[in-house]
Amino acid sequence: MSYSELPGFVEQAEAFGETTVTVEPARIRDACLHARDELGFQMLVDIVATDYLNWGGRGVSGYIATASGRDLNFPSTQGLQTLPEVKARRFSVAYHLLALRQPPVRVRLKCWLDDGEPVPSVVSVWPTADWHEREQFDLMGIRFDGHPNLKRLIMDDDWEGHPLRKDYPIGGEPVRFSEAE
Amino acid sequence: MAIAPERPRTRAWPVVHADQYEGTRIPWPVPTARPVPERLRGSDDVLRINFGPNHPSTHGVLRLVLDLDGEQVVGLDAVIGYLHTGFEKTMEQKTWWKCITYPERIDYVGFQNNELTFVLAVEKLLDLEVPEKATWMRTLLCELSRIHSHLIFLGTSALELGAVSMFWYCFRERELVLDLFEMVTGQRMHTRYFQVGGLAEDIPEGFYAQCRSFVEWMPKALDDYLALLDRNAIWLERTKGIGVLSADDAIALGQTGPVLRASGVDWDLRRDEPHLSYGQLDFRVPVYANGDVYDRYRVRMDEMRESTRIVDQCLRRLERLKGHPWIADDRKVVLPPREELHTSMESLIHHFKIVTEGFRVPEGEVYVATESPRGEQGCYLVSEGGPKPWRVHFRAPSFVALEATATCVHETLVADLIAIVGSLDAVMGDTDR
Amino acid sequence: MADGPKRLRDYGLQSERLLWPTKGPSHFEEEMGADEIERALGLTTLEKAVRWAQTRSMWPDTFGLACCAIEMMSIVSARYDIARFGMEAFRSSPRQADLLIISGRVAHKMAAPIRQIYDQMLEPKWVIAMGACASSGGMFNNYTILQGVDRILPVDVYVPFCPPRPEALMEGIIRLHEAHLAGVAPAYERREVATS
Repeated sequence: MSYSELPGFVEQAEAFGETTVTVEPARIRDACLHARDELGFQMLVDIVATDYLNWGGRGVSGYIATASGRDLNFPSTQGLQTLPEVKARRFSVAYHLLALRQPPVRVRLKCWLDDGEPVPSVVSVWPTADWHEREQFDLMGIRFDGHPNLKRLIMDDDWEGHPLRKDYPIGGEPVRFSEAE
Repeated sequence: MAIAPERPRTRAWPVVHADQYEGTRIPWPVPTARPVPERLRGSDDVLRINFGPNHPSTHGVLRLVLDLDGEQVVGLDAVIGYLHTGFEKTMEQKTWWKCITYPERIDYVGFQNNELTFVLAVEKLLDLEVPEKATWMRTLLCELSRIHSHLIFLGTSALELGAVSMFWYCFRERELVLDLFEMVTGQRMHTRYFQVGGLAEDIPEGFYAQCRSFVEWMPKALDDYLALLDRNAIWLERTKGIGVLSADDAIALGQTGPVLRASGVDWDLRRDEPHLSYGQLDFRVPVYANGDVYDRYRVRMDEMRESTRIVDQCLRRLERLKGHPWIADDRKVVLPPREELHTSMESLIHHFKIVTEGFRVPEGEVYVATESPRGEQGCYLVSEGGPKPWRVHFRAPSFVALEATATCVHETLVADLIAIVGSLDAVMGDTDR
Repeated sequence: MADGPKRLRDYGLQSERLLWPTKGPSHFEEEMGADEIERALGLTTLEKAVRWAQTRSMWPDTFGLACCAIEMMSIVSARYDIARFGMEAFRSSPRQADLLIISGRVAHKMAAPIRQIYDQMLEPKWVIAMGACASSGGMFNNYTILQGVDRILPVDVYVPFCPPRPEALMEGIIRLHEAHLAGVAPAYERREVATS
């Protein structure tokens, strides 16, 4: 199924049996309205924000496999070394949509943002987005324009910082004789 | 094994504009908080109280800020986060193997379903094939977990509504389920039995007989519960017509699982998007039309009965699979059997690499959803190609269920509010993660 | 005087043997060293009777946080019947409760309500840290989980495991009873909260 008529459509990718449609962040609300009304995605399942700071830069040498795929039990299998592809922006916000049909259709609408860039809120499209957007604001610091009640949900009201960001420390107390974490 | 019968196409649910359609009870502008109505705003009669994080109903640490006009709830705002554990960030620090311990504690009542979601997501990224025996055993344990979760729901909800005996009966059956878990995995709760690639160990011999006797006993216990509750005038008075959630509201609020099925939407991920071996099983999906507390209770009771039938079918299949492998053979991901470590150098190296550094999962992102006792439990996994996850996010059904509290509470009494929150069956570990 | 740690019976103390003459030394008495004994000296017969009554009806507060709460509920159930010890009456109001069983992980946001509930309890009061998360933060070592509830409350008994079996929790409760019978003061008189 092609999603090219979504407003703000950038590209569409298929991987692991799932469709990911990249959309411009400024048009995400129009895209969601179109998906709900024209394409029949009645349910918003989830909104997830991901922070790609230091993606691929930590010396991740990638997944070692053979040219024909993963080969079991053959020793010393060298092969293709894949490096993670570089991401253009720091944050991505993924909207998982579900169409209640037989068979069900799922799609992931994704938009890419920089730090501090706001995203239009989709609360008026699916009311369930209310808490999802508040949670992502709380934990990742993504602002959703037009959200009626954008306050912290999970952390304390006076908490400083956004814990799930990659530059926020894990916290806790140091444990002797364990790994560096 | 009967193939699941052909289902008629579910009708295309009316696509609703939540801010525009008539008959919606979703409060506006904030869908998850009910504001005090105009006529009472500023009135001295309205009392704002804290239905605090510590309250006797055992749903954990949920805080509802209520505005009361006498005994009626006229305003509601939910505050969560009192059990925020930082699962998602913690799991980013651990290797894939060590991560499996964490998802169980998220929804600590249906714990094996959470583990399953995570393990299925990792296996999807790895494109790993799981042996048949492991799939069937996972199905069996997930259905036992569903029975366990619904028993706790029934016991605690009935306790809150005053039917105190139900608590003891449900926990008696719960002990039988936990005995089965302990026999297979060694732990009562938080079993950590699912591994990436299959199961941790083989199924012990005595399990089949004990599970068989459980399967024979459970329907009788369910009949006992129905006999206690279903014709009870007080129970019907307290649950019928309370907390009605219409089908359109439920879909707009993203509800799944028993809450959605009680509102009349015929949607079950086990049947519609089969994972594990649900595609080969014969079971019904209970759907009720009214969307009140009574229907949610009936959906869960019927689900317990269906789960027992599923366990029966899985057991019969497993008895024929004795002696089959229980974990995948891919040595890059799965630890080799210990006997091999004495003879094979490659096995030793694989063991070393997996234990110290951890196996690597190819780069990508994946979203896997399963039907947990509370609804659609999803795991969104982003992998960088390394030994640790980059981003793990769990779509928690309880989080979404609590969003519907304000919609279900529409000029109800405090006692009915307790019944509604109980029927939404929200587990706070799942909500706050 | 025998060498080694002094036993309660060396001081002529009877403790629960007042009513159960054939009982041998309890776990607690066997583990207690000589320096703890001084604090246990001086129990009059009235005090012994009062302590006996207190241990036989130590009512917990309904304070379930997370997974351990489910196991705490199961000690009320018929198989691991806590009513044998007079404790099935879980009080909802902390003002009526004697025992606070912190069952589950303590998030940062929850720390203030927990302290408030502890302060609302009337003396004498005891705290059991149930499970690994309440004892020491458990498997969670991060920005939001208190590394042990003894950072904000004085704890009497720590029950390990994740989650502890109901029998393990009952062992913790029984040890608390024995300690109280032997004369050990509740934790708020003996310990400060963890400072590091």
